[in-house]
Amino acid sequence: MAQLFVNYYETVAMIIFSIGFTTMLLNRNLIKKIIGFNFMDCAIYLFLACKGYVEGRKAPIIVNGVQSVEAYINPVPSGLVLTGIVVSVSVTAFLLALTIRLYYRYHTLDIEEIIVLSKKEED
Amino acid sequence: MALVQNFPFLSIILTLSGGVICSVLKGHGARKYSTFVLCTVLIGSLLTLAHVLSTGEAYVYMMGHFPAPWGNEIRVGILETMMAALFSGIMLLSLMGGMHHIFEDTEDTKSNLYFTLVMLLSASLLALVYTNDLFTGYVFVEINTIASCALVMIRYRSGKALVATVRYLFMSLLGSGLFLIGITILYDITGHLLMENIAESVAVLFKTGTYAFPLSVVIVLFSMGLAIKSACFPFHTWLPGAHGNATVSSSSILSGLVLKGYIFLLIKIFYRVIGMEIIFQQRATNVLFIFGVLAMIVGSIKAIQEKDLKRMLAYSSVAQIGYIFLGIGLGTEAGIAAACLHIIVHAITKPMLFTACGGFMDVSGGSKKFSELQGAGLRDKLSGFAFIVGAMSMIGIPFFAGFISKVYLTTSAIETLSLKTVIALAALAISTLLNACYYIPAMLVLFTHPKKEPVSVHPRPKAMSLSLWMFIGLNFLMGCFSQPIVNAVIQGIAMFR
Amino acid sequence: MLGYFLGLVLFPMLSGVLCLVPAFKDDRKRNLFVAAVLGLNFVFVLLSFMQEGAFELLHLTDHLALRFMFDGAGRFFLLLSGLMFLMVGIYSFEYMSHEHNRPRFYLFYLLTLGALNGVCLSGNYMTLYCFFELMSLLSMPLVLHSQTNESIAAAKKYLLYSVFGASLGLGGFFLFTVYGGSTAFVAGGVVADALHHPLQLSSDLLFQRNMLLIGAFLAIVGFGAKAGMMPLHAWLPTAHPVAPACASAVLSGVITKAGVLAILRVVYFLYGSNFLVDTWVQYAWVTLILLTVLVGSTLAYKEKILKKRLAYSSVSQVSYVLFGLAGLNAWSLTGALLHAAAHSMIKDVLFMSAGSIIMHGHTERADRIDGMGRKMPMTFACITVASLGLIGIPPLFGYISKWYLCTGALMTYRNFFSWLGPVVLLISALLTAGYLFTLTINGYLKNETAESDAHEAGALMLLPMVILCALIVICGLAPKLVMQLIEFINTIA
Repeated sequence: MAQLFVNYYETVAMIIFSIGFTTMLLNRNLIKKIIGFNFMDCAIYLFLACKGYVEGRKAPIIVNGVQSVEAYINPVPSGLVLTGIVVSVSVTAFLLALTIRLYYRYHTLDIEEIIVLSKKEED
Repeated sequence: MALVQNFPFLSIILTLSGGVICSVLKGHGARKYSTFVLCTVLIGSLLTLAHVLSTGEAYVYMMGHFPAPWGNEIRVGILETMMAALFSGIMLLSLMGGMHHIFEDTEDTKSNLYFTLVMLLSASLLALVYTNDLFTGYVFVEINTIASCALVMIRYRSGKALVATVRYLFMSLLGSGLFLIGITILYDITGHLLMENIAESVAVLFKTGTYAFPLSVVIVLFSMGLAIKSACFPFHTWLPGAHGNATVSSSSILSGLVLKGYIFLLIKIFYRVIGMEIIFQQRATNVLFIFGVLAMIVGSIKAIQEKDLKRMLAYSSVAQIGYIFLGIGLGTEAGIAAACLHIIVHAITKPMLFTACGGFMDVSGGSKKFSELQGAGLRDKLSGFAFIVGAMSMIGIPFFAGFISKVYLTTSAIETLSLKTVIALAALAISTLLNACYYIPAMLVLFTHPKKEPVSVHPRPKAMSLSLWMFIGLNFLMGCFSQPIVNAVIQGIAMFR
Repeated sequence: MLGYFLGLVLFPMLSGVLCLVPAFKDDRKRNLFVAAVLGLNFVFVLLSFMQEGAFELLHLTDHLALRFMFDGAGRFFLLLSGLMFLMVGIYSFEYMSHEHNRPRFYLFYLLTLGALNGVCLSGNYMTLYCFFELMSLLSMPLVLHSQTNESIAAAKKYLLYSVFGASLGLGGFFLFTVYGGSTAFVAGGVVADALHHPLQLSSDLLFQRNMLLIGAFLAIVGFGAKAGMMPLHAWLPTAHPVAPACASAVLSGVITKAGVLAILRVVYFLYGSNFLVDTWVQYAWVTLILLTVLVGSTLAYKEKILKKRLAYSSVSQVSYVLFGLAGLNAWSLTGALLHAAAHSMIKDVLFMSAGSIIMHGHTERADRIDGMGRKMPMTFACITVASLGLIGIPPLFGYISKWYLCTGALMTYRNFFSWLGPVVLLISALLTAGYLFTLTINGYLKNETAESDAHEAGALMLLPMVILCALIVICGLAPKLVMQLIEFINTIA
C-alpha cells in the first residue's frame, strides 16, 4: 500500500486514467467524451514519461560537457510519449470532425439522443 | 541477401506513400493507383513466400542502419508472408467487389480519400504482420484504428454509420490505451522494445520470480486491449453497428482483415514476447477460451434475431471470431494452427458474403432488410450462388472452406484431453446448428419468388463479377485442396518462435 | 470403377441440372428425359454388380480422403434406391401435373438420387459424411416444394435436425479417428481385438474403449435422426406430409434407408458387431428403438391425416429395421435388411396411393375415404396388399422379415430384451393392423359420403403401384431372391 505513495506519479496517472475512461464511456455529451479520451491518453503518457524519470537526475541536455551516464534520465520513454501525443492529437482531430458532422445532422451533442434519432432514420 | 527479401519493407513504404499519393489524385486515378499498389504487394508477398519456403527459415530485416536492440526490425517468416499475401489479395478483391458502391456512398470530391484510407489500412496491416518491435506495433495499431473507423464514417449519407463510428472509435481507443499501458509496463520491467530481447528478459524474470504480478497485469492488458479491438465476446457491441452500416467493401475489409490483424498481433505477442509457457501457466488462455465459446453461442443467437442482412453477417463475424479465440484458448500449437487456418478461411468467406449482399442490395432498391430482399438471389444469380457457397462454408459443410478449419479445430481440441475438449466439441456442435439456424432461413428468403417486383435494378459491374468468381474459386480451393496451405501454416508456426 | 462412380453419382446430378434448360420446359419431353435417366441409372446399378473393390478419388487433406467401394451392402441399397426412384419417378409424371415448378422438382429429385448413390458407394467415414450431408441438403427443396408457410417451416425443421444429426455423426468420426485408427470401411470392423473385453484392460486401453463406445453412440443417434429414431425423430412427421406425395414416398421409403445404411456401415464395418455386443451402447440403442416403435405406431393409430399417419408409421417401421441392426447377429441382420426392402416397397405403395387419393379422391383425411374403394378399386387393392405386407401376414413380404427379427432377438439377448423385443413388435403389429386395415375397411365396406367425385387414377400412377405390389407378393413367396442379395451378412455378423 505504501508503494502507491512512493510511486505517486503512477498512482496519479492511474487515477486520471480512470476518470478519463469513465468519462469517455459513460458521459452523454460528445465533447465531454472527447475530453475524457484526452484525459485517458494524457494519463497514459504521464505513466510512460515517468518511467524514464530517475530521481535526482537531469534531462539529457549537454551542459559543461557530457557527464557520466548516471547524470541523465532515460530519454527513450520521452520519445515514445512524443509519438503517442501525435497519435492522440490525430485521433482528437478525427473525433472533433465527427462531432461536427453529427451536430450538423442532428443538432445535439447528446449521444443518447443521437442514437434515438438515427434509429428512426431510414437507412 | 536476395532481392526479394527487401520486399516486405518495400511493401510497407509503397502502401504508406500510396496513401499520400492517393490523397492528391482524383477519384478514379486514386482507384487505379491503389489497385496497382495492392497487386504489386500481393505479387511481391507471394514471391517472398516462395523464397522463405525454399530457404526454410525466417529472417530478420534491419530497418535503417541501427542494429538491434537500438534499431527497428521486421521479421519475415512463412506465416507472416502468407498473411500479408492474404490481406492484400482479399483487400483487392473486396475493393473490386464494392467499387461502384464506394463511388456512390462517398462525396464526389472526396472519393479519393477512401483509397487513401485503404492504402493506410494496408500499410498498417502489413506492418502489424511483419513488425518485430512492440512500439511500432502500437503506432500501426493506432493507424489501423483511425483508418478503419474512417472507412465506416466515410459513408456520409448514413447517420447510423456516423453513430457507429463514434462507438467503434471510443471502444477501439480504450483498447489501444490498455495496449499502450501494457507496453509501458513491459518496457519498464524489461528495458527492451524488440520482441526477441523482451522475450529473453521475460524468461529470466519468470525464472527468478521477480515482477510476477506486473507480468500478469501485462498479459491481461495485452489480451484485453487486443480483444476489445478484435470484437471478442464481451467487447463486441460496437461490431454490428460498424460493419452493418458501412459501405460494402468497408464491411468486407473490416470483417475479413482488420479484426484478424489484431488477433495476429496477439498471437505474435503470446509467442514471441511473453512465451507460450508463461501464458499457459497464467491461465490467460483459459479466459480467452471461455470468451471464445461464449462468443460462438451469443453471436449466433443474436444473428438469428436480426432482420437486416448486413447486421446478421456482422453478428456471424462475432461468432467466427469466437472460433478463432477458441483455437487460441486451447493453448497448444495445434490450436494456434487451427486458429490461423480459421483466420484464412474467414478472410476468404466473409468478404464474399458481404459482396454478395451488396449485389442483393443493388437488385432490391438499395435495401438490406429481409422483407425487401425476398427473391434477390433469383434476380442476381451470381451473388446468390456466392451467398450459398459462403453460407455452406460458414455452417461447415464438406467441400467448402469452413469444413477444413472446423476439422482442424476439432482435432486439436481432441488431442489434449481435458474439460476443454468436451466444452469445445459441444460448443462447435451447437454453433454449427445455430449457424444453420440463420443462414438457411436467409437463403430461403433470398431464393423464394417475391410477391412484387423490386423498384430499381442496377446491372452488375464486371469487377464485381470477377471478384465473386475469384472468391468462390478460393473457397473451393481451400475446401478441396487445402493440404499445402495447412502444411505451410504449421511450418510457419514452428518458425514463429 | 471410376466410370461406374461417374455413371451412378455424377450422371444423375448432371441430368438433374439439365432439367432446367429451356428445351425441357415442355412436360412431355422432360418426363421422357427423366424416365430415361432413371432407367439408365437402374441399368447402371445392375451392371455395377460385377464390380468389386475400392478406389480413392480425392484427398481433401492428407488425412481425409474420399474413398468409394463396391461391395454387397452398397449394392443392396443401390438396387433398392434405384428401383424405388424409378417407380416413384414414373408415378410422379402424372402426380406432378397438378403442382407448380415441375422442373425444379425433378432437378432436386435427380440430385438427391446422385447423392444417395454416393452414400451407397462410400468407402470410408468421411465420404459417407460428405454425401450424407449433401443428400440432406439436396432433399430439402423437395420438402418445401409447395412453398406454403407450413412447408417452409417443415423444411427448416428437416434441415436443422439433419444437420444436427450429421454433426453428431461427425463427432463420432473424430472420436474414431483419434481412438480407433483408419476410418476405411472393412467388413467386420477395424477395432483391435484387444479392446473387446473390458475386464482385462489397463486403464489407458479402457479409456480408449470408452471413447470408442461414446463415438459409436453419437454416430448411431446422429445418423438415426435420418432414420427417424428417437430422440431426433420429430422432423419426420412434420416434413413427410407437407411434401408432394412422390417426394414423401422417396423420403420415407428410400432416404430413411440412407440413415440405416450409415448406421450399418458404422456399426458393422467400423466398430464391428463383436465390439458393441453386450455393451451399454447396444442396450441404450435397443431401448430407444423399442420406444420409437411403440410411440410411432401409437401416434399413427390416432392420426387422422393420411400422410401424417403414414409418416408416423415410417417412424415405427424403420425402427424395426434398426432393431434388427441392433441385434448384432446374423439372424437379426437378415431380418433388418429384408424389412428394409419390404418397408421401402410397401411404404412407397402406401404413399403413392395416398397421393392418388389426394389427387383423384380430393381428400387428405383417413376419415373421409368411406366408400372410395368402389370408385378407386385398384388404388385400394394396392393399399390392401401393402397393408397385409406391413402387418406381417404370410405369404407377403413383411412376414419373413418379422420372423427373422423376432427369432434373432430371442436367440441372442441374454436378458429381458430377448422377449421384450418380440412383445413390442407384436403390439406394434396389432396397432399397425389398426391403422392400416381401417383404410381398407372404410374404403370398401362403408357407404359413401354424400358428394364424392372420386375416380380412379391414371395408368402412369397405377402402373408403379401394381408393379411394386406384385414384387411384394413375389418376394414374399420366394424370399430367396432377396436373400441372395444379402449374402454379405455372413462376412459381417
